[in-house]
Amino acid sequence: MNIGMLGAFRELDSTCEAIEDLKRQKIGHVTCFTPTPRHEIDHAMKSPPSSVRKYTLIGAFSGAVFGYWIAIWTSEYWPLVVGGKAISTWVPFTIFSFEMMVLVGGLSTVAGLFINARIPRLTMTVGYDPRFSHGDFGVWVECAPDKLKAAEAILRQHGAVEVRGEG
Amino acid sequence: MAAIARPERDGPRRPNIASAGVQLPAVKTYEQVDEEIIATLGPTKKWFAALALAITCLLVGITTWMYQIHEGMGVAGYSPPVMWGVYIVTFVFWIGIGHAGTLISAILYLFRAGFRTTIYRAAEAMTVFAVMTAGLFPIIHIGRPWKFFWLIPYPNWRLLWPNFKSPLVWDVFAISTYLTISTTFLFIGLIPDIAVLRDREKNPTRKMILSMLSFGWRNSEAEWRHFVRAYLFLAAFSTPLVLSVHSVVSFDFAMGLAPGWHTTIFPPYFVAGAIFSGFAMVWTIIIPIRKWWKLEHYVTLNVLDASAKMVLFTSLVVGCAYLVEFFISWYGGVPAEQDYFWNRVFGQWWWAAWIMLTCNMILPLSLFSQKLRRNPVWLFILSIFINIGMWFERFVIVVPSLSHEYEPWQWTGYKPTWVDLAILIGSFGWFFMWFLLFVKQLPVFALSEIKEIVQPRLKRAHHHPPEPNDDYEPSTPGAHA
Repeated sequence: MNIGMLGAFRELDSTCEAIEDLKRQKIGHVTCFTPTPRHEIDHAMKSPPSSVRKYTLIGAFSGAVFGYWIAIWTSEYWPLVVGGKAISTWVPFTIFSFEMMVLVGGLSTVAGLFINARIPRLTMTVGYDPRFSHGDFGVWVECAPDKLKAAEAILRQHGAVEVRGEG
Repeated sequence: MAAIARPERDGPRRPNIASAGVQLPAVKTYEQVDEEIIATLGPTKKWFAALALAITCLLVGITTWMYQIHEGMGVAGYSPPVMWGVYIVTFVFWIGIGHAGTLISAILYLFRAGFRTTIYRAAEAMTVFAVMTAGLFPIIHIGRPWKFFWLIPYPNWRLLWPNFKSPLVWDVFAISTYLTISTTFLFIGLIPDIAVLRDREKNPTRKMILSMLSFGWRNSEAEWRHFVRAYLFLAAFSTPLVLSVHSVVSFDFAMGLAPGWHTTIFPPYFVAGAIFSGFAMVWTIIIPIRKWWKLEHYVTLNVLDASAKMVLFTSLVVGCAYLVEFFISWYGGVPAEQDYFWNRVFGQWWWAAWIMLTCNMILPLSLFSQKLRRNPVWLFILSIFINIGMWFERFVIVVPSLSHEYEPWQWTGYKPTWVDLAILIGSFGWFFMWFLLFVKQLPVFALSEIKEIVQPRLKRAHHHPPEPNDDYEPSTPGAHA
């Protein structure tokens, strides 16, 4: 069971300072909630870059290859013979390959988002409050029971309007 | 370093100059964004009346289509050699309408054009519904609609595969890919906004549905980090897709040998026309919405002004393409082409050609006036003219070429029947039914992206130096920003 302390903040800079302080003091694993993406929070969290791009690249490449393969294979399997014309022609097949690249690449990107962001999620788990989709920022720090007091102190020190233990 | 004194201005203040950036001075907090936009979701009597009208039009269309299936394609006014008529015209028209959404949401996103922020959701939804509408027309047109799946490559007992060298097969894949990616793009963008609705919802049934649709989105930093990256890549994929789809649609014509069709200018000409018509439809939708829902401080005059510049630019591109077509037919020296273009403008089809030229080339020149670019009433009226003009552009491309080919004994006319017109009306009913249902169930303004524009609350306020334009109408909130 996850145990931790949740702080709700009205101000963006307070939130960032609380995150930096929690990370500096190695209180526990910090999760931040924000109504809209903010680069200030990205900097405070120091998170690694998203790996969604790998899914995009692999999906797009697979789609392009599949597009060429299906067009060439079906043309060879059921040839429409026209005198002086090649059965497999790369110019029209590139159009099809391009469409498949976009389709599979796009859907792989979505799959990458879902896998990395861990959605769909069946429950909201601990450490979430509906106000974080509205206007407030949230900081959830998951930590050992003996560090809860320290976490609470840091959250309050930086101006959290509400602090509560969860888990 | 000495501070540069800003000159004092006398007399009335100049209006803001529309730029790629966006300012919403009347929107102060994140909570205000949620409250004002979620407040638009409650159904009203006028909305029910509009929905009833749309469904009635749709029923007219469905009934007429059933009649056509029973009676055969002869009731649609086809007579050889004019075997492409209103259905193909309307197909290209709706595909064109479907282009502005992805242009606004993807291409303008990549170009960091902030004015897209408050209009892109409506445009994206419009795209999805327009492509859904367009996709019906090839099926209506083929006469035996139950056979349309033969165009999809799948292992079958006939051991037959579609011909991948045919533009019609490229069309199937281009449009189905475009519909899939546009729908995905729309839905992915909606997930955080659905989470906002879920968290505000009191009705348990609706809350459960919204919880499922939001996939348990929690607004965590990690979710946003992957979301932003995925959104960027989807935008990057959608950008060439927008350009390719209408290029592929134009190949349906350009690969043919009919006079007026067999030309290399068609792909850019079609893409520019699609963006032009799509923006016009965005105005047709967004201008009443901003007025009725009192959201002039979101879709500001600067937003309309910036979009008007896009319309003006694409109008000039389209107008240039019209003129180049005439020039090439003269310069090319092919008598059939010259005769066709003469017949198009001064002969049999003069009325359609001049509707097209007036609506698409002449009237949009009014947008050189900043006063008119910032006049929502004029923009709305102009959008109707452009919609009409762009439908006639497709009519002028499709019908006159087929009715005036190389052999004079083949020359003929074409008259749409009531069946064509009823199905055309039905397509508008289908489109507006989906759009009306969308606007009352899901936010038609992107909550999370608008919040990105709004200054967040800060413990220590930052003092930025004044922007070059921020002293024009500094205290006028809302619409004039």
